[in-house]
Amino acid sequence: MDLLFFKWALAAYLISTLGYTASLLVRRVLIAKASTWVLFTAFSLHTAFFLAQMIVSGGLSINNVHETLSFFAWSLCGIYLILQLKTKTRVLGAFISPVAFLLMIGASTGMEGSVSVPEVLKGGLVTLHVTLSVAGEALFALASCAGAMYLIQNRLIKHKSIGSFSRLLPSLKDLDNINHICLLWGVPLLTLGVLVGSIWARTVWGSHWQWDPKQIWTLAAWLLYALLLHQRLAIGWKGHRVALFSLLAFLILLAGFFLEKAFFTTVHNFL
Amino acid sequence: MNIILIGVNHKTAPLDLRERLSISCEEAAHPLREIMKIPKMNGVIYLSTCNRVEVIAQTTDVPETAERLQDFILQHGNLSREEMLRCLYIYGDQEAVRHLFRVTSSLDSLVMGEPQILGQVKDAYRQAVENGTTGIILNKIMHYAFRVAKRVRTETEIAVNAVSVSYAAVELAKKIFGGLQGKNVLLIGAGEMSELAARHLINHGADQILIANRTYGRAQQMAEEFHGRAVTLDRIEDSLRDVDIVISSTGAPGYVITAGMVAAALRRRKNRLLFLIDIAVPRDIDPAAGEIDNVFLYNIDHLQDIVDGNVRGRMQEAQKAEMIINEEVAKFTQWHNTLAVVPTIVSLKEKAEEIVRGELDKSSAWMQNLTAEDRNNIEILAGSIINKILHDPIISLKEESQDYAAIPYVAALRRLFRLEP
Repeated sequence: MDLLFFKWALAAYLISTLGYTASLLVRRVLIAKASTWVLFTAFSLHTAFFLAQMIVSGGLSINNVHETLSFFAWSLCGIYLILQLKTKTRVLGAFISPVAFLLMIGASTGMEGSVSVPEVLKGGLVTLHVTLSVAGEALFALASCAGAMYLIQNRLIKHKSIGSFSRLLPSLKDLDNINHICLLWGVPLLTLGVLVGSIWARTVWGSHWQWDPKQIWTLAAWLLYALLLHQRLAIGWKGHRVALFSLLAFLILLAGFFLEKAFFTTVHNFL
Repeated sequence: MNIILIGVNHKTAPLDLRERLSISCEEAAHPLREIMKIPKMNGVIYLSTCNRVEVIAQTTDVPETAERLQDFILQHGNLSREEMLRCLYIYGDQEAVRHLFRVTSSLDSLVMGEPQILGQVKDAYRQAVENGTTGIILNKIMHYAFRVAKRVRTETEIAVNAVSVSYAAVELAKKIFGGLQGKNVLLIGAGEMSELAARHLINHGADQILIANRTYGRAQQMAEEFHGRAVTLDRIEDSLRDVDIVISSTGAPGYVITAGMVAAALRRRKNRLLFLIDIAVPRDIDPAAGEIDNVFLYNIDHLQDIVDGNVRGRMQEAQKAEMIINEEVAKFTQWHNTLAVVPTIVSLKEKAEEIVRGELDKSSAWMQNLTAEDRNNIEILAGSIINKILHDPIISLKEESQDYAAIPYVAALRRLFRLEP
C-alpha cells in the first residue's frame, strides 16, 4: 500500500517535470500553472506514502540513504509550494521539480533493503537530527535553484534581451525574496540539526566531534552559509551577489557529499 | 443573410472627416431611430468611436438599404459623393460579419490589441437593445462577436506585451521589482515622455514621485500635479539613495548621473535594486553605470527595440486571430443557413401532429372501449411513428442547408407535403 503511493508520487513528479520543461520550451505560463498542480498532487501522494509508512511501522523512519533522499525531495517540494503561494514564482518549479524527481529516482533504487544506520545509532534523536538537517539543506537547495534562475533573469535584463523567455521567468525581487527566506530559515535549522547530531554522537560514540571528513565538510558548509546570512542581514548583500554565492555554496555542499562517498571512509558512511 | 455593414475608419478617412461625421450623427437626431426609418429595415447597430463610425444593418432589401445608408453617411458627413466613395467601405453578409468580428477583437484598431474597443462595441450593442433595434440575427451576430473577442484575447498573445515606450518601461520595472507598490520614482527633467512614463508608473502603484528640473519652479509645478516632491538638481545624488526608479530626460550636454554617483548611492542604499531609464538625447546617464551589480540601465533605443519586437509579435499573433475569426464566421454562417430551413421543419412537424390528432379524434368512438392506459399507449405509438418517419428528412434538410443547396429541397418538401407557402 505505502509503496504504491511512492510509485504514484514518482510518476506525478515525472509528469510535473515534463510539464515544466514543456512550459519553458513553448513559453506559456499556463502549462507551468498546470504543472504546479501536478507537483502539488505529487507532494500529496508523497505525504500519503509517509503517513501510510508511519501507520504500518508505527513511526517515521529515516534511517538510510534512500529514505533520506525521499524525505529531502518531500521537504524541497513542500517548502517550494508554500513559498510559491506568497511569491509569484511559478516557473521556479521548472528547477525544483526535476531535482525532486531525481532524488526520488535515487530513493526508489533501494526501497527494499540498503545501507542502514547501525543498530547502536538508532534512537529518538537520530530522526530529529536527520529531519532538521534535511529540511535545512532542502532550503539551501531551493535557495540555489532561485539563485540560478536569478542569474539567468539578471543576465537577460542586463543584456536587454527581453523576450518571451524573460517574461516567463519570475521577477528579480521575488527570486531574491526566496533566497532571503531560505537563508533565514535554513541556517537555524541546519544549526539545530548539527547540534542534535553532535549530542547524539556524544551519547553513542562518547564525544561530540570525531574529526570525520563528513563532519568537517558539513561544518565548512555551515560556516559558509552562516557567513552568507550575515552578509545579507548585516552588510546588505542583495540580488546578484547573494544569488551567485548561494548557488556556489550549494555546489560545494554537493561536491562534498560526492567526494566523501568516493574517496573517504567516514563513520557517517550511512549517509 | 441580408446583412450590410457600412463605415469609415482611421485607415480610410482622415480625422476631421470622422469627427464631422460622428458629431453630426450624434447631434442631428438619434442615429438609431433615424436609420430605422429606412423602409424594410429589420435591425441596426450604430458604433461610433474616435477611430471609426460603423453601421451594421439587417434588412429585407439589400440594394435599397445600402443606397439609403450611404445617403445617411453622405448627409451627415457633409461629403461630396467622390469623397465618400474614397472613404466609405460597404460589406455584405459574411464579409460584414468578418469585419465586425475583426473590429470587436481589436484587429482593426489603430493600436492592434488595444482593449477599449470591446467595451465600445458592447455599449453600442446595449444602446441598440435598449432602443429595440436588434433582431434575432443581429443578436446572434453580436454574441458571436463577443465570443470571438474573448477567444482572441485568451488564445493568442495579441494584447500581452507593451507596444509603447512608457509601457515597456513599466513592464521592465515589474520584471525587476515584482510589483511597483511602495517604489519611489525620480524624474529628472520635465518632458512629455517622462511625464507619460511617470503617470504609467503611478497608475501601476508607484509610491512617491520626486521631480528635479533645471528651473525649480517647473519642478514644483509638476510636483503638485503628481502629488510628489520637487528637489533641486544638486540633490539628485542624495535622492539616488532613496528612489528605486530614475527617469532622466534633460537637455544637458553631459552626464547628469555618473557611474561614480551610482556606485556610491548603491553602497548607501545597501545594494537595493535600482532601475535607471535614460530617455534623453544626448544621454544623461553614464552607460558605465549599467555595468554595476543590481543596477539596470535602459536608454531610449533599448526601450524602442523592445517595443519593435513586441509589435512584430502582435503581427504574428494577429494571424492566429484571423484563423479564429475564419472559424467563427464559418460557424455563424452554419447557424444562419440552418435558420433558412427552420420554418419548413416547423410546419412539417405541425402538419404531422395535426394529422395524428385528427386521426385519434376520429377513432375516439371505438377507443372508448379500451382502458385509459391502452388509449394512452396508442397515442404514444402514433406520435413515435410520426417522429421516426420525419427524423431522416429533417436531419437531411439541416445537412443540405450547409452548402446552399437547401432551396430546391425546401421547395420540393413544401410541394410534396402541401405546406402553406
